[in-house]
Amino acid sequence: MKKENDNGKPRHRYGMVIDLDKCTGCGTCMIACAAENNVSVRPDQSDKERAITWMRLYKITNGKEFPDTEVSYFPRPCMHCDHHPPCVSVCVATATKLDFNTGIVSQIYTRCIGCRYCQAACPYGARYFNWWDAYFPKDKGLDRYLSPEVSPRMRGVVEKCTFCHHRLMRAKEQAYAEGRREIEEHEYQTACTEACPVQAITFGDLNNPDHKVSKLVKHPFTFRLLERLGTEPKVYYYSSRDWVRKLGDNFLPGEYKPVLHKTWMQEEWSTKPGRDTY
Amino acid sequence: MKLTRRNFIASVVGGAVGIQITPLPWKFTDDVAIWTQNWPWVPVPPSGEFSEVSSVCTLCPGGCGISVRKVEERAVKIEGRTDYPVNPGGICPLGMGGLQLLYDESLRFTGPMKRVGMRGSGEFQRITWREALDIAGARIAALRKEGRPEAVAAVDGNGEGTTASLLIQRLMQAVGSPNYVRPASLSDTYRMGNILMQGRDAPIAYDLENSDLIVSFGCGLLEGWGAPGRVLNAWGMWHEGNPAKRKVKIVQVESRASNTASKADYWVAAKPGTEGALALGLAHVIIRSGRYDAGFLAEHAFGFDDWQSRDGVVHTGFKTLVLKNYAPEQVSRITGVRPDAIVKLAGMFMDAKSPIAIYGKGKNELNGSLYEFMAVQSLNALAGRINRVGGVLLPDPLPLNPLPHFECDEIAAKGLEKPRLDRAGTKAYPFSHSLIHKFAEAINGSRKSPIDTLLVFSANPAFTLPDGGAFETALKKIPFVISFSPYRDETANMADLILPDCVYLEKVDDIIWPVGLQYPLYGLSKPVVDPIYDTRNCGDTIINLSKAIGKSVGAAFPWKHFTDVLKERAKGLYDAGGGLVRFNPAAPPWVAKGAGSKTGFKSFDDMWKKLEAGGMWYRPAEQQRDWSWLFKTPSGKFEFYSQRIEQAIRSGSTKEMRITVQGDEACMAHYEAPAQDPDRTAYPLTLFPYEMINLASGWIPSPPFLYKTIFDTQLLKDTSFAAIHPGTAGQYGLKQGDLVSVESPAGAVKVRVDLFEGAMPGRVYMPLGFGHTGYDEFLKGKGANPNAIVRAGEDPVSGYPVWWTTPVKLVKA
Amino acid sequence: MKNRANPSERPSQSEGASSRAGFFPKWLNINVAVQDVGFFLVGLIAALIVGWVVFPAVLYSKQTQPMNFNHRLHVSPDIGIDGETREERCAYCHEFRDDGTFAGIPKLDKCTECHDDPESPLGDTPQEKEFLERYVSGGKEIPWLIYSRQPDCVYFSHIAHVNMGELSCDTCHGDFADNEKLPVYQENRLTGYSINIWGKRISGIYGDKKPADRMKMDDCAECHTKMGQEQNNSCFVCHK
Repeated sequence: MKKENDNGKPRHRYGMVIDLDKCTGCGTCMIACAAENNVSVRPDQSDKERAITWMRLYKITNGKEFPDTEVSYFPRPCMHCDHHPPCVSVCVATATKLDFNTGIVSQIYTRCIGCRYCQAACPYGARYFNWWDAYFPKDKGLDRYLSPEVSPRMRGVVEKCTFCHHRLMRAKEQAYAEGRREIEEHEYQTACTEACPVQAITFGDLNNPDHKVSKLVKHPFTFRLLERLGTEPKVYYYSSRDWVRKLGDNFLPGEYKPVLHKTWMQEEWSTKPGRDTY
Repeated sequence: MKLTRRNFIASVVGGAVGIQITPLPWKFTDDVAIWTQNWPWVPVPPSGEFSEVSSVCTLCPGGCGISVRKVEERAVKIEGRTDYPVNPGGICPLGMGGLQLLYDESLRFTGPMKRVGMRGSGEFQRITWREALDIAGARIAALRKEGRPEAVAAVDGNGEGTTASLLIQRLMQAVGSPNYVRPASLSDTYRMGNILMQGRDAPIAYDLENSDLIVSFGCGLLEGWGAPGRVLNAWGMWHEGNPAKRKVKIVQVESRASNTASKADYWVAAKPGTEGALALGLAHVIIRSGRYDAGFLAEHAFGFDDWQSRDGVVHTGFKTLVLKNYAPEQVSRITGVRPDAIVKLAGMFMDAKSPIAIYGKGKNELNGSLYEFMAVQSLNALAGRINRVGGVLLPDPLPLNPLPHFECDEIAAKGLEKPRLDRAGTKAYPFSHSLIHKFAEAINGSRKSPIDTLLVFSANPAFTLPDGGAFETALKKIPFVISFSPYRDETANMADLILPDCVYLEKVDDIIWPVGLQYPLYGLSKPVVDPIYDTRNCGDTIINLSKAIGKSVGAAFPWKHFTDVLKERAKGLYDAGGGLVRFNPAAPPWVAKGAGSKTGFKSFDDMWKKLEAGGMWYRPAEQQRDWSWLFKTPSGKFEFYSQRIEQAIRSGSTKEMRITVQGDEACMAHYEAPAQDPDRTAYPLTLFPYEMINLASGWIPSPPFLYKTIFDTQLLKDTSFAAIHPGTAGQYGLKQGDLVSVESPAGAVKVRVDLFEGAMPGRVYMPLGFGHTGYDEFLKGKGANPNAIVRAGEDPVSGYPVWWTTPVKLVKA
Repeated sequence: MKNRANPSERPSQSEGASSRAGFFPKWLNINVAVQDVGFFLVGLIAALIVGWVVFPAVLYSKQTQPMNFNHRLHVSPDIGIDGETREERCAYCHEFRDDGTFAGIPKLDKCTECHDDPESPLGDTPQEKEFLERYVSGGKEIPWLIYSRQPDCVYFSHIAHVNMGELSCDTCHGDFADNEKLPVYQENRLTGYSINIWGKRISGIYGDKKPADRMKMDDCAECHTKMGQEQNNSCFVCHK
């Protein structure tokens, strides 16, 4: 991956590793995300195609019979694809771009014309269309918790996870105030990363070898969703359970190769390929 | 010159050309484009100076540290505090969405109100605080004048031992009514078991962080049990690093593939209500193999071996009982768990270095069963895991000052002599402090309500009680109901007078020892924002109300403000010496001696200032060194055989206490089969209401944000789902999403079917927290409340509702 | 096309036309043409007036600030505001907070640092009296109108430009510090933005020398490019 931008300056590639072994499916990340990013809540949130959830939790099961059943969760933010993000390629209004300096796929609401082409192109369903105006009725006063750091969206535009881009801005301002140009790893963390009560999410610069994420992505248990599409998502998942990893892509029968890992194969207490049951 | 058609056209053409060389068309187009980007109804949040306020979340008795980000006076985001010992970092989804509880005006009462519409319609009229306090005060004073102060009752949902709760109890005493009731929670089961087996009137202290094998008998560790922030943080810690080399293993005993069961290393699917039997099954295997802690049993336990009482009678010991009745095959028949699995699990328990068996039933919002708790605690004792690091610790209670003594006046003294309406503390329920379902039953059973005025604090019994709607019926009969709730909940909607409390972010409040924490912690929240409406801290309202009732009642409240009371109690923390008011992440309180003993404050005022700023006072966890005073039981030891139960049976009877076994067994942990319903053929299935971490099922409403996390197999439009095993559903010809009526002898609710392989066959799993009739459009009318159809039996000895065995049937709608 | 509306005038017109036969072709009815041009010009001029004079007058509402503020006086070194350079004196009131955010128009607190009571240094105009009575003793914030507030979708970091980019205030804001009187605040009735954003020149054409008060996206981008900071032209640098 290219580490410098056209000016020869170091390029960041922010990314995320989500540990699915740790993830308990509590949903705090979804709420932290919605609260942080001024995502409005409409009275009916059960129409999942239209309810806006930048970070969305998917529930998966191993499909086994009782009592061998096992449930796991996939938290899914925007993948911030690093290689020709499908949404960017199709945008007719240049409302979404891959920011080369940060690796973040941007979304400019005031530029978006609401054609929803990007939504159709995204293989991860990470994009959401505002079918209605943001739900902040004046007499309710819910608009009082809105953060000025994120611009509320109007009806008819598409929105998605921005890796809490405003937090990068916040970190930069703080750094500038202290006379620094570069920011530390802990200074820029997304809202979901910070909120996760089991610390299942790790966020950082994949181009920086000192950041935790760049070490984690090398682990054999780490994988990405629909990796073979070649979009190079910058959101990685980690799971010691084979059946979970297998659900990360559409495999033909027999195509999936289980990850064989010496240490856990030898351990009596190993947790894979699936939880031991009685 | 006349204006001809031609001239006119010429001028129009001129105008048209001319306008092109003015800014008008270009700027106009540009501005219109910008105008469409700024609809006046799309909010533009005002900016300003950012600040962070540290406080403590008091939405549940977990008491996590929170940091609220503010822009000028507005709170815009809640985050977990990394400098708080309970939850270093994260918080639960409910706490994360808390700002909606603060700012959703239609969810709240904006000031004191009196009812104008029908009861339950939620139509109220604003009145002043003076008027409201006068109405309430006059009514209670009149009852006292009539000589029936016991017709005043209070339902209190504040955490046990919190200052607000003490004030409410005090108010009832000063008024002269014995009818102070609390909804039963898991903490009550813990406390009762603790008193009976260990003689300690203290919360349970599970040292999970230092354990290497956690066998959870029904604890919804990931569903919000205990202090959710603490458990989740520990969960993250346990799963750190290479999964093959993980030191901590978690075993979940539960009937459903819940999040905890799925994410645990092992899942043991025992039938609900048989968790205690399974624990005894493990005990059997351990005793048989001889790998129990003989030292602990010999020195610190009573009733393990057969023993002879002073009158010469030989009593059966725990050992004999367990060896006789709880062999793996026997337990297997009760629990449905394979015998070899029981043997294997027991083997794990013996092999582990510091195992712990913990007892629970989902979150802590609903009660458990006493004998089940005793069974699990017996298992801990057997392995010598009491007062051991990584086991069950026995820290001393928080050294808070008690409230000063006061003299009841004559009316009050007479009233307090009257029997409690719920019969708690009588021979039938010797160890219970209050039984809210019996309270409702007594009202529903009498022609005229014996209660005239009911005060409801921090509780929503009309929704949260698993009583098949009995409390709601009782509410309708009570002539006058006063609610102190800040929210428009079901109970408040039935009230005649509202004296609204502040929402948690607007008030000072305390947390007494988060449930299950292994070290004593006192949490103090502070207002993050000024009250945005005309509401008052409930503590202040109680003080004001006492004065409105009359002089002699008011005299019991010699304080001006609630904070004065808090301060007076906290003085005890200082006087006790020691304690920490700051958290060092490098030395967490569960690491023995890690946190050090330097208190970091010089005087009480200094401590109070730091307590207010940091929101915590705690003592790091440690084993008690002196065993001699540890167990305040009649034997002075850990009692497998509870002599207190023996005494109670002697003065009453096993039948009265609903114990089915006879003799010595009744005083020890044992399995009680639930009373078999005669109509099991009519209702062949069993309802199990389950709790979720991402849906509030207690008196706090769910912030609308939570509905984003609810799957469309849990709620679709306005219908919630019941999870049913595909095999069971097949017997009824039900497919995914089918509308069905779940019917019990207590009623029926409509739900959709969710086919879930992880559901135990023969059970119907319904989530708690749906089916509100109060609040606003976000919550109202969404899904069904299983509590409405629960028909609960009574737990032996404790008398708490057995809410996990309601017989139901499915009728295709 | 022929003008058939005035057949009676035709002869004289044709006469005039024939007298200048050398200039104009016969088929051109010169009189009609003059008239056409005349009316064309009438329309044109009217349009120009509408477009250049009426339109801007209608488009912008004019509002005066709640009270005057003398920048020149306050920024002068003898008044006692801390700061070596003028920039520093600007930043005394228009300060950066500790987290690097820019406070913009100062709050009343800042004013009362010096003007906390009637004894404090102040003139005695009715406005200054009102300032003391209404705002200082009332503890009420002065509802200043903000000239350069960007739309909500824009993220602008002052500290990045001032501290890191070493731009001076007047590069973008013009020589505000020299004002003795606050300019009239003009708000675009359609967009709700201040005139200082789109620029005072209604034409939007500035040539090489731009007045400092123009703050549209292209202006930002142009400057970035000129300064060799093209990477800052990507969307997610200035949009939120």
